[in-house]
Amino acid sequence: MREDKNLQYKRFYRVMPLPSAMVLLLLFFVPLFFTLSSAFFTEQGFSFSRIAGVFTDPYTQRIMLFTLLQATLSTLASLLVALPGAYLIATYSFRGKRLILALSAIPFVIPSILVVLGFVIFFGNNGFLNRILMALFELEEPPLSILYSFPAIILAHTFYNFPIIMSLVSSYWEHMDGNCETASYTLGATKAKTFFSITLPRLLPAIISAASLVFLFCFNSFAIILVLGGGPQYTTMEVEIYRQARMLGQSGSAAALSLFSILVTSILLLWYNSTQKRLARSETYRNSNRLNEKKPATLFGKLLALLYTVASFLFILGPIASVVVRSFMASSSRSSAETFSLKWYRQLLSLERATGHMNSALQALSNSLLIALLVALCTVPLALTLSAAIRRKEKKGSMLELFGMLPMTVSSVIIGLGYYLISAKIRGGLLTSYSLVVLAHMVIAIPFVLRTILPEYRKIPDSYIHSSLTLGAGPLRTFLLIELPLLRGAMFTGAIFAFALSMGEFNATLTLANSSIVTLPIVMYRLIGSYNFQGACALGTILIAVCAIVFIVSELAKGGNHGR
Amino acid sequence: MEVLMNKHRYVCVLVAILTLSFSVFAQPAKESNELVVYAYDAFCGDWGPGPAIVEEFEKQHGIKVNLVSAGDAVEMMTKVISEADNPWADVVIGITDDMAQKVYDANVLERYESAALSDIPAFLHFDPSYRLLPFDYGNFAFVVDTERMKAEDVPTSLASLVDPKYKNKVILIDPRTSSVGLGLLLWTIEVFGEKEYLTWWKAMKENALTITDGWSSAYGLFTEGEAPLVLSYSTSPVYHVTYEETTRYQTVLFSEGHSTTIEGAGILSSSKQKGIAQKFVDYLLTEAQLTIALANSMYPVNSKTELPAAFDYAPKPQKSLSMDTKMLAKNLDRWLTEWTQVMSK
Repeated sequence: MREDKNLQYKRFYRVMPLPSAMVLLLLFFVPLFFTLSSAFFTEQGFSFSRIAGVFTDPYTQRIMLFTLLQATLSTLASLLVALPGAYLIATYSFRGKRLILALSAIPFVIPSILVVLGFVIFFGNNGFLNRILMALFELEEPPLSILYSFPAIILAHTFYNFPIIMSLVSSYWEHMDGNCETASYTLGATKAKTFFSITLPRLLPAIISAASLVFLFCFNSFAIILVLGGGPQYTTMEVEIYRQARMLGQSGSAAALSLFSILVTSILLLWYNSTQKRLARSETYRNSNRLNEKKPATLFGKLLALLYTVASFLFILGPIASVVVRSFMASSSRSSAETFSLKWYRQLLSLERATGHMNSALQALSNSLLIALLVALCTVPLALTLSAAIRRKEKKGSMLELFGMLPMTVSSVIIGLGYYLISAKIRGGLLTSYSLVVLAHMVIAIPFVLRTILPEYRKIPDSYIHSSLTLGAGPLRTFLLIELPLLRGAMFTGAIFAFALSMGEFNATLTLANSSIVTLPIVMYRLIGSYNFQGACALGTILIAVCAIVFIVSELAKGGNHGR
Repeated sequence: MEVLMNKHRYVCVLVAILTLSFSVFAQPAKESNELVVYAYDAFCGDWGPGPAIVEEFEKQHGIKVNLVSAGDAVEMMTKVISEADNPWADVVIGITDDMAQKVYDANVLERYESAALSDIPAFLHFDPSYRLLPFDYGNFAFVVDTERMKAEDVPTSLASLVDPKYKNKVILIDPRTSSVGLGLLLWTIEVFGEKEYLTWWKAMKENALTITDGWSSAYGLFTEGEAPLVLSYSTSPVYHVTYEETTRYQTVLFSEGHSTTIEGAGILSSSKQKGIAQKFVDYLLTEAQLTIALANSMYPVNSKTELPAAFDYAPKPQKSLSMDTKMLAKNLDRWLTEWTQVMSK
């Protein structure tokens, strides 16, 4: 009888990761294989010559060095901006804190073309910032030339990534107990000494973990470099891969470059994973430290908090707000001045005859919502079952975890290249395109949802599960009655993330849909291409609004569940 | 109850995954009597000629045309070549004479000597084998935003464009990814010769605000007011005059002359609808000429086309430059490599 149970138990957890493995295999590993295999085949057959050539070419080496350099600087800049914020959020309670946390998730999910657009409108030579300064100081020339340069890349990456570090580090910080620090004070150490010798070392695993994640994103960054960098002198691996493959049709050398790039990112992923484990081990907390939160005591502290909040609001909201503002403007002809107008929203809702790509805007909105909903509903169970298997299998678990996290290391350009090669071979109807898009979005979302659910899963004490099994419940019953209810919060957050990621996804959709499916980011891209920037801004505004709503709802729901 | 729901969800998801993965392998065939036409993004875009001519052609012939926006011109050509084993397009629109060699080498296009060719001047017949038929042409030129640059500051030659006073005032386009960008590269070689053209680019690197990957983003940044000069066509102002009634954007004529580009359309040899495809190409070369010329801001090839007054704002250069096709085919890759070496430092 006991043997039987054991067998049933084992079989159950062996089946658990299968669905997600299937999706990953079909939509991630197969395309990746397609991309990479062409690196080894030249006209003369199988050969390593192409790979050797790429690794030893001074041009590639220069690009690789530049890629690493920009990623390092971007990560440092993001840390610099994020850590004070993390401190404020973790230590003080103040009005608007939840709102900041909710808003800080937005940059993460908005497509990079929208970020680029926001940056041009806000920081550009003819952008809001320069126009205000020119009007204020009566200047002839725009005083700030930020864009189309190396600093522009760093700036945009910081915009994108500092919120991630801020929310990851602050949530860890919030949950850290203050006992050691209290002891340190009692023993007469100063505030600064305590911070540097007690708090910072305790925080370090969380900081390193968040920083390596950001490094990974910056390493794989694409559209920002392409548009804001200002030309060939700022070429990264991803941009070069894209050029080789899509423009020059040399999929072989593109594949060799991809291999090089994946090698570096995989090392990073291994490092990230090990920091994650260290984090889980040093996790001694159960509940939030919310009782210890205080209001900023001194005037100086208050000022500092205010200043930081305002500055980061400006930084995040500047480009975003300029997109929103721009969407409410239109001019009757290109030469006349722009005035307030609902033209683009009227076109979007078909209240007015739409011109060009605005025709498909409403269709794109409903497509995006539908696809995102499907992706959210399908990704959560997949990530959940995968987490269940990872948690149970101590040895094979870390392999499985790595497997689930891999899509994060491979940039959308490389995976898009694989889809591109496949889509030249498969030609299906509309349904096929829709299914492929949903599946591809799922592959992109799985690592993030896994990251949301798995840590919570690990926190469920073994004793709960053992008691359930001892009392005669099968593994399925235990899973459904004990584990699932405990994970409801994490599942909800995961679903929100999957939804938002899918709403903003652009590269994979573009390659897979073969222009037969329109989503919000795709129509936005086309509008920008035909220089209807205002129309693109209107769609961007809707995208931002949808994401803001779901994140605020999720923050509120978390608040409601608090203390569970 | 909750357990049941969860179970349900689990089953639903599994079913969904299975159906989705099955549909991946199902391949419904293309509708018959549907013509698939690849064109570059700007052709299919809001302001491009694509939507209008497709609608008109569909009405006249009762044939459904699926106009696919296939990226920038170079990207589109790469797509056509990479799909050689599993072709989808019947007609491809917008391969220029400068970059056509690759598509000739791939051997994917069918010869078609349209009757309409008799109305097209001989100097525009760039492909002697008629795999690509000319449908419009233009001269590369810089366009100036007169509200952001005074008349006396406007450059008068390619050579004067490297003057430090134009620092960050010019938007250029990458020749590796765009036909317009390639046009400028060849233009500089035509003007300065193989020995000197890189000197010009080295100096120009300092003056370029940005080098975008395609014409669309360059022109978008230009009309957004980011810089007063942009690389485009001598015919670009026509669009602004016709549709926006403004003469704010004007062509800058250079004393060295201007490089010419001819855009061609071709029928894929793999097409199963050659009859319809030929009708479509004929239509491009005849009735669609004015629409194409206006929306694309290019000169029509068909000499019977009557141009509206707006074309007065597209001054024809005193001197048209062009390059020998054989020399181009032989050296293009090397020039691009040299260019990349210089510009990426």
